[in-house]
Amino acid sequence: MEQPELLPGTLYMMVLRTLSGGPLHGYAIAKRIKECSQGGLEIEDGSLYPALNRMLVKGWLEAEWGTSENNRKARFYSLTAEGRKQLARERQAFERMVRSIQLVLGTS
Amino acid sequence: MPKWKEALRRLTYLGRRARFDQELEDEIGFHIAARVQELEEAGLARHDAAAQARREFGSGARMREQTRAAWQFQWLEDLLTDLRHALRAFLRNRAFTVTAVACLALGIGANTLIFSLVNAILLRSLPYPQADRMTMVRFTPPDHADERLGSNSGSYFFIREHNRSFEKMGAIRIVGISVTNDSGDASHREWVQSAWMTPGLQDVFAVQPLLGRWFPQDENGYGRVVISYGLWQRLYGGSPDVIGKNLRFDRGGTSIITGVMPNGFQTLNPDIQFWRYQGDDDLARARRSPNRVFYAFGRLKPGVTVSQAQADMDALKASLGQEYEMNRGWGIKVETLRDAYFGHLRRPLLILQGAVLFLLLIACANVAGLLLAQASIRQRELAVRAALGSSRGRVVRQLLAESALLSVLGGAAGGALAWFGITTASGVVSTLLPLSGRLTMDITVLGFTFLLSLGTGLLFGAIPAFQISRPNLTGMLRESARGSTSSAASQRLRGAFVVVQVALALTLLAGAGLLTRSLLRLNLVQPGFSPGGLITFQVHFPYSFERGIPNAPNTPAGGLLVELDPRYNQLAEKIREQIAALPGIESAAGAMTPPLGGAARTLNFTRAGHPVSEAEQEAWSAEWYPVSAGYLHTLKLGLRSGRDFSDSDKAGARPVAIINRTLADRFFPDENPIGQQIQTGMLDDPPREIVGIAGDVRQNRYEYGMRPQIYVPRDQLPTRMDMTLSFDVLNATFIVRSGLNPASLVSAFRKSVAGVDPSLAVTNVLTVEQYAAGQLQDLRNYAILLGMFAGISVLLAVAGLFGTLAHLISQRTGEIGIRRALGAPNAAVLTDVLSRGVTLIGIGLALGVAVSLALTRLIQSYLWGITATDPFTFAFVLALMAAIGLLACYFPARRALRVDPLIALRSE
Repeated sequence: MEQPELLPGTLYMMVLRTLSGGPLHGYAIAKRIKECSQGGLEIEDGSLYPALNRMLVKGWLEAEWGTSENNRKARFYSLTAEGRKQLARERQAFERMVRSIQLVLGTS
Repeated sequence: MPKWKEALRRLTYLGRRARFDQELEDEIGFHIAARVQELEEAGLARHDAAAQARREFGSGARMREQTRAAWQFQWLEDLLTDLRHALRAFLRNRAFTVTAVACLALGIGANTLIFSLVNAILLRSLPYPQADRMTMVRFTPPDHADERLGSNSGSYFFIREHNRSFEKMGAIRIVGISVTNDSGDASHREWVQSAWMTPGLQDVFAVQPLLGRWFPQDENGYGRVVISYGLWQRLYGGSPDVIGKNLRFDRGGTSIITGVMPNGFQTLNPDIQFWRYQGDDDLARARRSPNRVFYAFGRLKPGVTVSQAQADMDALKASLGQEYEMNRGWGIKVETLRDAYFGHLRRPLLILQGAVLFLLLIACANVAGLLLAQASIRQRELAVRAALGSSRGRVVRQLLAESALLSVLGGAAGGALAWFGITTASGVVSTLLPLSGRLTMDITVLGFTFLLSLGTGLLFGAIPAFQISRPNLTGMLRESARGSTSSAASQRLRGAFVVVQVALALTLLAGAGLLTRSLLRLNLVQPGFSPGGLITFQVHFPYSFERGIPNAPNTPAGGLLVELDPRYNQLAEKIREQIAALPGIESAAGAMTPPLGGAARTLNFTRAGHPVSEAEQEAWSAEWYPVSAGYLHTLKLGLRSGRDFSDSDKAGARPVAIINRTLADRFFPDENPIGQQIQTGMLDDPPREIVGIAGDVRQNRYEYGMRPQIYVPRDQLPTRMDMTLSFDVLNATFIVRSGLNPASLVSAFRKSVAGVDPSLAVTNVLTVEQYAAGQLQDLRNYAILLGMFAGISVLLAVAGLFGTLAHLISQRTGEIGIRRALGAPNAAVLTDVLSRGVTLIGIGLALGVAVSLALTRLIQSYLWGITATDPFTFAFVLALMAAIGLLACYFPARRALRVDPLIALRSE
């Protein structure tokens, strides 16, 4: 069965947007993206943690160990100020890209 | 996003790799557990939920790697991996690793050692502020432009007044004197060199005292001294209240100590232990004295170069020659302090460094060859890596990492070897080159070692790396493990290297062998007396024992005339009596110089009634020895006929002399010399009756022929003499024959001498055997140095031979197996395998002999008793090298024969 895939290059943006509402652990991030997109987008399990770590290195996220809803130890990620800026930047760039594509395709 | 911030974050990872992995596992565990829970809530049984969750997640190995990679410095990880692989490969192949590292260690170690010498002498700045502005100004005689002599005071003034190059100038005159601390006790009395400094010299050297200050540079400077660190420690125990204390001289004069110099501070001569002031007017009085006892130093004006200063001096020398006749025709030489002290060493040192670098190149070639040999074994491994997707660049990096690791290991081992060598040699070097400071492994030297190691790694690693990594996948994978990188060309190259190494080793061995043989032959040369058990020491009688004679003309030789105090002889004789009475002393005597302790003075002489023409005059010269009674007896110098000096041969009695056999045979061929008269060329010396003929003494082992010698009783010397002669005479030597240890006698000597006159100091307590060994010191040093080089190059040659043959054999293992399986006798297989090795050795030896015969004449001047092409030495060295070479070939060959033929065949 074909897996719904994220557009290449949008993974970071999706994660940043998801976390703009508050800290979440890795599993919750993946679940939230799937839910918010109503099943249209799903992160491959194998890409999630590498991406999260890359974003940590770039300084867009911070991570902290805490307890989950059912009292288990989990690692929570949250946006940094830099992360918020990056989200705005990527959003702008993405919207510009979409407008351009739409123009070419002839729809408004 | 600033990249450096990322890098900083990445650094935090380095510290917690293990914890990171654990946390990642925890996180993954949580993720899967959450999924399992979700699936359970959706209705799956736990077991199925778990299975599905895990399946969905995947194996995770790649994911984990990628997660980790987000935090790592990629290049660092690659490098570490490469190094780990390299290390494993080395451990697996110990023989190769040890050989390669050993070769590199020898090459790098030798270079480091020599470089530390170069550093200490040519590079490290001398311990004065802006030492490169400091120069020495000296005179060169008309026909000997290589010699450097001092100045007289008048010339020094002239230069100081008329030069345009120096902002400061000063001069030093060295005078020996005995001193002690202000308690005046004899046990601390020392004979030291002191420096009279002209005003201005303090500023040339520009070093401030450690304690106190310099003396004032005007009349208030008189009566004040600055002492050296060593003197401070020895005479005042390093106590901080030494400033203001007195330094006591010979006959009770004192000076106040105003300062102590830092440890290691030196001016012209490291034996100078204190400095004192000499004003200009004082110097001006001796303006016209011809004695060149002043050494001038100058600090260049800013912006003035040495060559400009030299031009300045060249312009002055004509007028200087007119003003002071002694300088007519002489040149003035300006040299930087470094050149003045070490100039003569620059070329030999650079040649030495070049030679040692050459050795390193040979070592690198060796290791490159070894790597190439290894390569053919690793072809498969590398082909597989390439097939799995490794780029060529990656493979090259891996191979370079291996080379780098090898060279770092070699560098570390070499550094350790060099450190060992440096600590051993440091003592020798500071005695030979006292102004060079200590040989150390400082930052410069360490940096040199490190760079050299890296450089050699790249050098020997580059070619193999690029050759090996050439892509030829299918071919490699299909062929047998042996591969075909060892083309004929590379084989020839390796063979050529081996030949060169063998030749080089032979040449160095020949040189070392010749020097060693000379040394051995010299050791056997008999001096003519019995040196064992003879202990000597010297007592410098102060200048107060000689008086200038007012209004006296100069001596015929042009020197100043002085009169010797007769108490000198009384005291010297008393000392001899006291010492002879000490327990454990068989006999004692006095002389001017220690036996074998340096060149003796020579004088012309004539036979009474035998006038000698001008042309023959030069042949009528003999070594001249003023000695006390008992000299011949103490030395066990045989008397051929007549008698030894006795106590009755003193001043006022009939003047006598003893001659040696050579003088008797050569100059009294017709009659018995005993009873005849002989006249020495010494001023005021009366004709002397010959009372004895002694055996010949060889003062200098290097001389082949015997020299004529004359002994006269010290007591019977005329009291008026040339000042340069009195200088030697006042330096009395005492010789005792005793079975005791010299160290145990030192305080007894001191007590005896102090008992006779407390102002006299005992110096240079040495055995005659030490003097004898000192004569051979230079030769011994060269022999050792050359021997070390020879040893290193032999080891390199052996490594090269061994490696080449081992490789060759491993290439032909299959073929060897077949031959043995077919029943060929071991001997036949062995000879076949050895033939290449033997050929290489043979060519190398031939080449080596040719080169040696050409080059050994370079050391001709150091050889003694043999020619530079001494056949015995050459034959010995040739045989030695051939034997070593054959052994180096034998072992790999034998190993080849041990291999079971079946295994050999199977390796196809």
